[in-house]
Amino acid sequence: MANWTLTSKRMAGQVLSADTWLPSEMPEYAQGFMYMLGSLTASSFVALIISGIILAANGPDTWSYNGAMRFVAATHFWSVQAFFFFMMLHLWRVFFTGAWRGGRGMTWLLGAISFLIAIPTAFTGFLINGDLYSEWNAVQAKDGLNALGLGWVNLTNAGQMFGMHVVVLPLTLTLLIAAHITRVRIKSVVPPYPDVKSQSPEGATKS
Amino acid sequence: MTKTSDDMVKNYRMVPEDFVKHLFSTFVIVTIVVLVASILFSVPEKQPLTIKGYATSNPVAFEQVALRALDGQGQIANYGPPYNHGTGNVESVMQKAVGILHPINAEQDFILNPLKMAASINPAISPALKQFESASPAQQALWETRYTAALNKGQYKNGAVVVPKGNYGPLPTLMNATLSLGKSGLMSGALIRNSSVITRFDNQNYLLFLQGQPLQNDPATQSMAGGNWGIIHPAINGYPGAWWMTIPTWIYQWPAVANSPASDAWALGIGFFFWLALALMPWIPGLNKLPRYLGVHRLIWREFYRSHANDAATAVAPGQSHAS
Repeated sequence: MANWTLTSKRMAGQVLSADTWLPSEMPEYAQGFMYMLGSLTASSFVALIISGIILAANGPDTWSYNGAMRFVAATHFWSVQAFFFFMMLHLWRVFFTGAWRGGRGMTWLLGAISFLIAIPTAFTGFLINGDLYSEWNAVQAKDGLNALGLGWVNLTNAGQMFGMHVVVLPLTLTLLIAAHITRVRIKSVVPPYPDVKSQSPEGATKS
Repeated sequence: MTKTSDDMVKNYRMVPEDFVKHLFSTFVIVTIVVLVASILFSVPEKQPLTIKGYATSNPVAFEQVALRALDGQGQIANYGPPYNHGTGNVESVMQKAVGILHPINAEQDFILNPLKMAASINPAISPALKQFESASPAQQALWETRYTAALNKGQYKNGAVVVPKGNYGPLPTLMNATLSLGKSGLMSGALIRNSSVITRFDNQNYLLFLQGQPLQNDPATQSMAGGNWGIIHPAINGYPGAWWMTIPTWIYQWPAVANSPASDAWALGIGFFFWLALALMPWIPGLNKLPRYLGVHRLIWREFYRSHANDAATAVAPGQSHAS
């Protein structure tokens, strides 16, 4: 990295390029439902952000006395279920296809970190909901965090949990997911393993 | 980073794709699924356990909880960091190292300070408070020990807990005053307070007052208890919970972890190593080749392999578009 400016320019050109984000062709192997799972996860995240903005704009306990906000809370709840459901299917797909091959290890790692951060992101949302599930899990989970020396994260402080859930964690997660997707777009999706059984020539090809 | 190797095919074709339509389609699918689920099932919201509710339905148990906060025997009163210097719930050196971040003096914060506030409304509490606070620690402990035993035979009559006759000092008055405060619903205001600010973001003391026996023994929380696979269960049966926490919850069920005094530290620590193995899989020899041998990719790329087996002899150049 001799010249930081030139390197940044080259990287920015790649990241900000319409060719990166709006491809008009895809590899023939990246077709079908298995290759919708990442987009379905990202779409669920968008649904979470939209419903979350409406909830945040009105207040985290409005669902308890306002029917419309209860419905928005329901969409947020089912969006998070969809998000983890599709993320898990996506995780299985990328695992079974060895998606880290060909210099895609960082893409995998960013996805794994996103998964890790998604867990407290969802959990803090449950904590600010204020129902029995919130109450029970705040007092149960505090022992684990305290034991790990993470007692500054006070699960029984609704103010801190609100900040964590509405700003700190979703912002972190958004950046991680954005970096993950950026790498997927730049590196494309991993090509298949050579199929030894088919005896096709590519199975024996070495570059 | 763009290293290629012999574990990937290279002569695949590029086919036309409408990526924007693809993204729009997945968003529409998710939106429909979410809206339909929300209309059909709404959202699982179970009424929380309140101090008012607990004091009203379990007056004797409520006084037992309050007395344990007062005499320092309660779980939070003797918890340790990050709340106080207790030793009852210290699982690791890391927990000790962070120190007291959210100080709690259960005797003062949970009982005596709320009673002082109540005394300004009901002056009859003041003499009992003065008697208790001016007594020696040994005298206080003696009253507390006797009243703890007496509460085992306590009965709720005419709005107060009545115990067999004995010398409990001011404790019956103080504990029944606490019970009245709890039943009134005003105790939440006395616990959730910070005289430096007018906002009420921090409900720590309210939750920690209820965290022991009140919540542990509540029938509604039993399916969510750690030994019953805890957090992955919802508060209302039939709904999904945080099922993505299945692995750490499973670790909690291991006998060695479940029986450890540091079960939380072990379960989360081991869970983190599971995640680490997942995250670093691309660089773990053996594990990073596992998918090829599992063979599931043959199902996922079934069409690709079939078409290439058919036209193997007419393979095109790597990455070459077949669009013409």
